[in-house]
Amino acid sequence: METWEVFRRHGHREPFEHCGTVTASDHEMALLTAKECFLRRREGEHLWVVRRSDIHSFQDETLLEIAADKSYRFNSGYRDVVAKRERARARAKELATP
Amino acid sequence: MTYEEKLARFNAHIEAGGKVETEDWMPDDFRNGVLKFIEMHANSEIMGAIPEREQVPRAPSLKRKMSLTAKVQDEVGHAQLLYRVAEDLGKSREAMFSDLVNGKSKFHNVFHYPTKHWGDVAIIGWLIDGAALVTQAALLDSSYAPYTRVLKRICSEEQLHLRHGEDISLELASGTESQRAMFQDALTRWWLPIIHFFGPKTNVEKDLLLRWKVKTRTNEDLRQEFLDRYVPKVLELGFEFPAPVPFHDEESGHWLIRDEDIDWAPLDAIKRNQGPETQRRLNLRKTVYDTHRWVRDALAGPAIHAA
Repeated sequence: METWEVFRRHGHREPFEHCGTVTASDHEMALLTAKECFLRRREGEHLWVVRRSDIHSFQDETLLEIAADKSYRFNSGYRDVVAKRERARARAKELATP
Repeated sequence: MTYEEKLARFNAHIEAGGKVETEDWMPDDFRNGVLKFIEMHANSEIMGAIPEREQVPRAPSLKRKMSLTAKVQDEVGHAQLLYRVAEDLGKSREAMFSDLVNGKSKFHNVFHYPTKHWGDVAIIGWLIDGAALVTQAALLDSSYAPYTRVLKRICSEEQLHLRHGEDISLELASGTESQRAMFQDALTRWWLPIIHFFGPKTNVEKDLLLRWKVKTRTNEDLRQEFLDRYVPKVLELGFEFPAPVPFHDEESGHWLIRDEDIDWAPLDAIKRNQGPETQRRLNLRKTVYDTHRWVRDALAGPAIHAA
């Protein structure tokens, strides 16, 4: 018997999402079991099963961190835009008055 | 089931607001139409990285250089996401790339124009990304579901690019006279291409992608949303639009431009791949593709572990 990770898609807006795990001897049994467990009440329209041993992840989670200050990749890096807009409007007014 | 029956069922599904997944049955015209549409979008992202890339060495500060570089990387990333979605419809990435660099497929008009200075970066980041965001947000409800899931990510990054562009624009607008002149110069050169960006009036009767709800709104409808959203923002900063000059229609409350004020000739030339920078940029794309072949080969080869 093997462990299978189960992914489910509900609607079309979101991608497949992990929803649980089943134990089964092959992918067909895994799909059947997953259907009974995770689509009992139409919680989605589609299922995937993937052998747990086929899933890989980072062993060292510190490798997932961003290496340096990259604040410009985030909205929060541009938080002062309101103040800047005020300044630009004021500059336009100043130039418009002779 | 006959082809006609399948088609009728497909049309009814779409009519009822149904979505289409890659593995579903779809008419050939639908498959080819969606493929061409997404391929053009992908081409535009990867070609769109070039004009801004040209200005990276001219960034006024290290921070601006880093943020513009990050934006260029994002655009190339969008192309990769979109080529992946297009590939699943049956055309290989190699074939799409070859058609692009050999001028057989198209990319958006605005990326056929030269950039001259940092004012161009402001206009591209604010108004062109703003225009792109209007069109892309309208596609979030497209009937081809894999496209919409990728667009969600793309739109959220474009939102960030918009802030980045607005930040640069506001800095120029509140700056010295020569900084303001840079912005005005760029606006004057880019305004007509931005109006072209949305395309000519949609022929609703003939537009298959609109009928199949792959596209959700007409070109003129999207252009109107853009004008209403951005024209007042530019005017309040004290800048002036060249032709086609937008004017405020008191009755409807909209910012309008007159159809007869739009000169379509430059867009027609670009459709034949005869824009001012078309060949130079395609050549650059091809050169980079060729000289970097070794990188793709190395990545595709088996892993070599250090002893």
